[in-house]
Parts: sequence; C-alpha cells; structure tokens
Amino acid sequence: MTNVSKGTIILLATLLLSACSGSYVGLPRAEMLGYQTYGTYGSLYSLACAQAESLNAAVKADTLHPGMYAEYGVALALMGHKSAACRMLNAEAKAFPEGRSMVYRIKQRLMPDMLLDEAATARDTANLSQLAGWAYDSLTALRPLPFVAPVIDSTDTTWLQMQTPVDSVETPIRLTATQKRQLLEEEQARQIMLQQARLDSIAAARQAKVDARKQAKADREKDRKEKDKARKQAKKEKDRQRKEKQKKK
Amino acid sequence: MKSRHLIYAFLLAFVLPSCKGEKKLAQYSEIYRECPATIYVAPLSDMSFRRAVRLTEDSVYNLSLNIAANQLYLTASDPLVNNGYYVPGPLASAQIAATESRSDKQLRNESINDYHTDLGIDAVLFITLHSWRNTTNSWSVEVEYVLRSTHSNSELMHVLVNATKTLPTDFKGNPIPLVEDKAFSDRYGCDLETAQRCRLVETVNKYVLKDLPSGSRTRQQRTERHIKAHPEYFTLKIHPDGSVELAKSEMQQ
Repeated sequence: MTNVSKGTIILLATLLLSACSGSYVGLPRAEMLGYQTYGTYGSLYSLACAQAESLNAAVKADTLHPGMYAEYGVALALMGHKSAACRMLNAEAKAFPEGRSMVYRIKQRLMPDMLLDEAATARDTANLSQLAGWAYDSLTALRPLPFVAPVIDSTDTTWLQMQTPVDSVETPIRLTATQKRQLLEEEQARQIMLQQARLDSIAAARQAKVDARKQAKADREKDRKEKDKARKQAKKEKDRQRKEKQKKK
Repeated sequence: MKSRHLIYAFLLAFVLPSCKGEKKLAQYSEIYRECPATIYVAPLSDMSFRRAVRLTEDSVYNLSLNIAANQLYLTASDPLVNNGYYVPGPLASAQIAATESRSDKQLRNESINDYHTDLGIDAVLFITLHSWRNTTNSWSVEVEYVLRSTHSNSELMHVLVNATKTLPTDFKGNPIPLVEDKAFSDRYGCDLETAQRCRLVETVNKYVLKDLPSGSRTRQQRTERHIKAHPEYFTLKIHPDGSVELAKSEMQQ
C-alpha cells in the first residue's frame, strides 16, 4: 500500500512538474474589454487602476509581462499624467530592450516634450520594482481623494507635477460582479438610447428637410402666382392705356 | 506496480510532448528561419455582417458582435506572449496604428519594412474576422490569421479557421450554457450569448497560436539557463523503489 501511494505521488509530482510551463501574470482583460468597447473615461480609469495592481503583483512575483509598463504608461498618458507615463515608458524600454524603438515612437506621439529627457530616463529606470510600487501607491491614493503622490526625492521638483488634483474621478474601482453587470447594462442601455436618439435626430432632420422642400415649393408657387397676377394686371393696364390713346387720336 | 507508475510518468512527461517536434519544424520552417522576437498585432479587420439598426435587438446584436471582435483582438496576444515573443499591448498598439496612414489592404500586400526600421518589430500579425453564423445552440466564426515578416515581407504563417461551438439543449430546445460560460458572463458583465462568442474566439486564438515555435527570447533563455542556474545546478535520480536522490553537481565547462 505504501509503495503504491509512493508511486502515485511520484506520478502526480511528475505530471505537475511537467505542467508547470510558467504562464505570465495576465493583463486585466475585463477592464481592457470594457475600455476597448466603450472607450469612456471611467473605463480608462478603472483599466489604469487594474493595470497598476497587476503590474505591482507581477513585479513582486517577478513575472513581468512584456508591454505591462508600456500599457500602464499609455493609460496614464491618456489620462493626462504625462510625467508618470514617461517614467513607465522608460521602465518598459529598460526592462524589454526589444520594445525601445516602439516606446520612443509612442513617446514621440503622446509626449513629444519629454522625449529627450535623458537624465530623467536614467533616474526612472534605476529601480524598477520601486517604481512599480510607487505607481501602485499613487493610484491607490487617487481613489478616494484628490491625487496626492508620495514625494520620493524632495530636491527634485519634477515629481511634484503629479500632485495636481484630479477632479474627474468617476467610477469606483472595486466592483462586485453584480455592480459590473449593472454598470455594463447601464452602459448598454445608454448606448442604445444614444443610438435611438441618433436615429431620431436623423429622422427629424430628414423630415425637416422634406418640410423645408415643401415649403420652398409652396413659396415658389405663391411667387409665381403673384408674378402672373402682376403681369396680367400690367398687361391690362397697358391695354387700357393703349385704348385711351387710340380714343384720343 | 511501482515500475508501471514510473513508466507512465516518463511516457506522459517526456515522450508525448516530444511527439510533435518534426511536424512543427516543417510547418513553421519560415518562423524558425527568421526567428522573430517582436510581433505586433495589427488592428482587427472585421468583415462580418452587422444588422441595419431598426429595432433595439439590432443594436444589442451589433454590440455583442463588437464585444466578441474586441475579445478576439485582445486575446490574440496571450498565446504569443506565453510563447516568449515580445508583443505590445492593445493600448500601445492603438498608438502605433494611429500613426499608420496606409490602408489594411496595402499593409497586407505591400512592403512593411518600415515597421522593422522605425519600430523594431520583426513580424506583424493580421487578423481578419470574416463571418459569424449562429443557430439556437451553435455559434460559428471564420477567422483568418496572417503573420508577415517585416524583414523579408514574406508570409510566415497563414491560417484560415472555421470554428463552431455547439451546446447541448434542454427538452424545449434551448441551449444549456456551460459553467465556464456563466463564469465568463459574470466576470465580464455581459450576456450569455456574448459570452459564448467571446469564449469561442478566445479558444480559436489559443488553438491557432499556441503551437507557434517559442520566440527567440525564450530560445535564448533556454540556451543560457544552465549558465544562469550554475550555483543551483543539480541532478535528480528516481530509484525503482520510489526513493528520490538529489545530487548537486558542477557545471561542465
């Protein structure tokens, strides 16, 4: 019995070891799908928060996914936090040298003014794990209150750029499945309403165009009748004058 | 009994995974030749039919297809990343795509060397969603994958898949959703029909792209791992009586 159980343990252990091919910590798919489909600020914000969390987990577990820093950086840049975004993109270039040219192009597009900041690049990429932790903390701080980022180097004023308050934080971050479903249903209903409103406005515009055309036709008809009437009157007047002249003669 | 277990273990762990080697080598010979390290997933080309919006159901149907198309695009990078390729994420890819002025057709047929020179990308994956078909309990999708090299402009891979997912039905003829579909629906906050489509495209992506050869980054890591693991390099011996012997040994130079 003991031997059988040992054999089974070996079998299971071997199978488990062979199955451990090491998958990476994934990107936040649900939030990404939400942003990709609806593209609202709220969905972008919740995507950025989820990315910060997964980035932090990946850094802690040493399972960095290629493009994680870049994704988070682009999300931050789209939200307007360009300084932090620049730091994240520099971190991506440092962690994955294959993506350096791509990161350069993205920076060129999103933040051309921060492209040639070599000193900041060197400083940002000095300690990647600290950077990710800082990003996570900063976004955690962003949730309930206006944005307050921890100052890492007090002599460096560029870090203070992140301390500008953010007023437009809309959605809660930790959502239950029911809340998510509710939000999505609301979003779907909103989309449908918007679509309906768009259709209504198109129909109204079409109707207005038809009405205007009818009105223009009626006006033209009226003008033509008035002109005909005036022409007839003028003709009558001329005839009358001609007859009077003939009588005089 | 003991030896039989050991034989099973060795068979399952070593022999079966190595069975696909030669076939894979022939199928992906172009990829083995070019050794791409960075793959960029181009924006999805969605050719599937959308309903003209007259009723609310039409909007819901179109939204469902949009969500599934987005899911197809988003999950395409997962198998590639797990195979060791560097794949920029969807937000970064959107920024790259925004700078592109050529049409999708031009990108597929003309030279894309500039992707290598400007962005350092080795291959571009074009995905085309051709059509959707569904009955009460089955969903079908037709997807085309083209992987083009930015060095030689040649096609490294070209696959056209027609995948169908069929669910069992109850006595009324309504489909019985799987537990995984329900979980997906809860997690993503979408209806069950959208969940069916999303899970179908996810499976298609996994099936088509999981078997690609490992990226050159992984290959390089595999060749270097003995050097990296030098201090912890050890040998494991499993004896016929089930005991395990662990022996540390030095790296041979």
